Amino acid sequence: MIHPASPRTDMSMPIAGPAGRNGPDTIPVVLSMRDLSLSYEGADGELNPVVHEVSLDLRRGEILGIVGESGSGKSTTALASMGYRSPNVRVGGGEVLLGGTNLLTLDVPRLRTIWGRRIGFVAQQASLALNPSLRIGAQLAAPLKKHMALAGKALHDRQVELLRMVDLPDPEAALRRYSFQFSGGQQQRIAIALAMSCDPEILVMDEPTTGLDATTQARISDLLRALVRERKVAVIYVSHDLGLLHALADRIAVMLDGRIVETGAADDVVVRGGHPYTRALMAAAPRIGTANLPTPAAGASDALPVLRARAVVCTHPGAGEPSVHGIDLEVARGETLGIIGESGSGKSTLLRAIAGLMAPTAGSIDFQGDKLAPLVSKRPVRTRGEIQLIFQNPDSSLNPRQTVRSILTRPIRLFRPDVRRGDETAEIRRLLAAVRLPDSLIDRFPSELSGGQKQRIAIARAFAARPLLLLCDEITSALDVSVQAAILDLLKDLARENGVATVFVSHDLAVVRALAHSTIVMRHGRVVERGETGAVFTDPRDPYTRALLEAVHDLPPAEAPHV
Amino acid sequence: MSPIAPAFSFDKQDTAARRSLWRSLASSGNGRLGLALAAIMLAVIGLGPWLAPYPPTQIGLGLPNQFPTWAHPFGTDDLGRDILSRFLVGGRSVILVPFVAVVLSTVVGGWLGIVSAYAQIQPRLRWIDQGIASLLDLALALPPLLLALVLIAGFGTSPPVLILSVAAIFAPRTGRILRGATQAVVTSDYVAAAQARGESLSYILLREVLPNIAATAIAEFALRMTWGIIFVASLSFLGLGAQPPSSDWGLMVAQARPYITVSPIAVLAPAAGIALLSVALNLIADALADHLDPASGQPGVPL
Repeated sequence: MIHPASPRTDMSMPIAGPAGRNGPDTIPVVLSMRDLSLSYEGADGELNPVVHEVSLDLRRGEILGIVGESGSGKSTTALASMGYRSPNVRVGGGEVLLGGTNLLTLDVPRLRTIWGRRIGFVAQQASLALNPSLRIGAQLAAPLKKHMALAGKALHDRQVELLRMVDLPDPEAALRRYSFQFSGGQQQRIAIALAMSCDPEILVMDEPTTGLDATTQARISDLLRALVRERKVAVIYVSHDLGLLHALADRIAVMLDGRIVETGAADDVVVRGGHPYTRALMAAAPRIGTANLPTPAAGASDALPVLRARAVVCTHPGAGEPSVHGIDLEVARGETLGIIGESGSGKSTLLRAIAGLMAPTAGSIDFQGDKLAPLVSKRPVRTRGEIQLIFQNPDSSLNPRQTVRSILTRPIRLFRPDVRRGDETAEIRRLLAAVRLPDSLIDRFPSELSGGQKQRIAIARAFAARPLLLLCDEITSALDVSVQAAILDLLKDLARENGVATVFVSHDLAVVRALAHSTIVMRHGRVVERGETGAVFTDPRDPYTRALLEAVHDLPPAEAPHV
Repeated sequence: MSPIAPAFSFDKQDTAARRSLWRSLASSGNGRLGLALAAIMLAVIGLGPWLAPYPPTQIGLGLPNQFPTWAHPFGTDDLGRDILSRFLVGGRSVILVPFVAVVLSTVVGGWLGIVSAYAQIQPRLRWIDQGIASLLDLALALPPLLLALVLIAGFGTSPPVLILSVAAIFAPRTGRILRGATQAVVTSDYVAAAQARGESLSYILLREVLPNIAATAIAEFALRMTWGIIFVASLSFLGLGAQPPSSDWGLMVAQARPYITVSPIAVLAPAAGIALLSVALNLIADALADHLDPASGQPGVPL
């Protein structure tokens, strides 16, 4: 990964932590947080504590993972480790020591001499972190000019060296291009090069690979390991993915409600973790190796499949190459078909074509033995109700200006002639109970619900229409693992009780493994592998499937808790 | 259910996001000031004709260009008309013409923008968007005052012509703003979900899209009103709007201008009226914009 010829300048030597702060294993501590407490100040001046008395030591050349679910305060903690707080954050106490200086007492001009020079930051979404109107060269030059006073050839050489370090093809040409001309993985590499530009002692990374494909994620992790090994940079790596941190980090701190509930060597935390929350996280994470296969669907061998697609081709208007390139599939009553693929594999386009939101350019789709009209507007009302689509992100799929009641009333009015006008409320209560939500949410707006609750409402909306075919598009990828586990259980139960056929699209192999009876692996719009889920996962024949499986960081089973 | 308790909750922040428009207006300093000022101005304009002590167009009530007296608190103009009476009556055309024109331009321009943005995401309807967008671009390229001049020269200076001219000038501008606001909404999955239910076009636009751009439309309306008032007053000042002997504020400024050194109040009173009205609406529009994007009120600097 690291270019062998890349010379290190003297300026880039990491500075060891102050004497006397050395850890037991004599590796110097570079950053130390002591009893850090932070609160968010609300509009009414009320303080909501987000971080409680967090103490962490970061040693030279180690990767410290901070794991937690959304709202646990992990990102706030990571940002505070650089001395950064958003404008509404108040410091309740504690200190962040970098070489004996408390960063929390410095003003912004002083912090700016440290940010980029001694501490590098990598944000979650490189596409948003990189400036779309500046060439990569200009963005890389800024910190080098500011902190290292490089200019002319020295500046150019350093820029090229940095891009080579992160393994970007053709660095010379890349300097003249804009960020949006690179793929998501390449953008994150550029962001890492930017953070590493002045050879900082510390790299703070906030979910740097979330949203990237599994294979891309694995390559970024490899790069990070090499950087740590060769440059001895200390890394704070925030993630919600315990499996990823187990494979990557030296030590892991587990955060819950703003507190560190457990910290230790990665293996100790994961395998012998004693805290109930760590064990709950472990239990909620779906695994490829150990999950029980779903029980065979009753009646899966019925003669007539609910859905049968033949040689479906979909081309987006204006695009030359079709995004779906001749797909065949069949789903029987009560059966779940998993479709695995990375972004751009055409899996979502295929679902939209089945749902009638986009007309296929060729091929046929049969539903219950009858040919489906390509567009939903030409399909009979009954069919529209019987095919239901659940979207990835409930923030986008629920109208923020409609209450739960009006969201659920609409499909009942349209697709449920058996429910009389005026009786909708009873049916809504039944649906809320089915997705394990209390009645009290009925008049809430989506913004008043948690992420998991919102997705349950989206599922309830789909089941309100009494579907025969459920199309699920990455429905758990925006959720925390514990919420994901609950949603998957719910979906499994509902699908079994109602005997629906399900097409479940995901880039997460473990989720598909836990849910699907049979599995299709898609790449570039084509099927590269298909079969019974167990066979696909244990004996993959296609090299791409094997690469996908290898890129997954499966958690080991937890040991029995110590007494 | 999962064994894990729900993590930190952001409920507080979220309920704040759907505070009602009125509450949010009343809670900001700008909004309160704007609402109070607008209420006073509307009261003056609305009740003015009943409060006016003299008929506004009667000449020779006193000596020409008389200084304020008890009989004429604002003095008289060059024809001996009572300035206070003319001021109290003259606000109506200043607010009515722009109001009708802006309602018209928001409805017409807004629908053009919404339909255009919705057509953009439908491969088979994209030509509609391209057509509307080019039309709006073309209309925006015409200089507003020149366009008004041509229309008024061609069709006369009656209020309906004035209203239609102003609406024609504002509609493409409002259309562009609401097209942008709608573009962000129509790509949401809840619109796709409505399409998948087979909802009609009018249901999708009225029930799914419109509530989500209503706040933008209201802020745009308030801002457009301030421009409308100044634009119509400018037309009257140039002799293209209200005609003598009517007591329109813009016309009053134009007519009293030669005598500004003798009778400054004849220019200042209507000018102040126009200014206060547009400041009030501007403050309201500002507060509405803050309500739409609470972050814009805060400096983005860390710490």
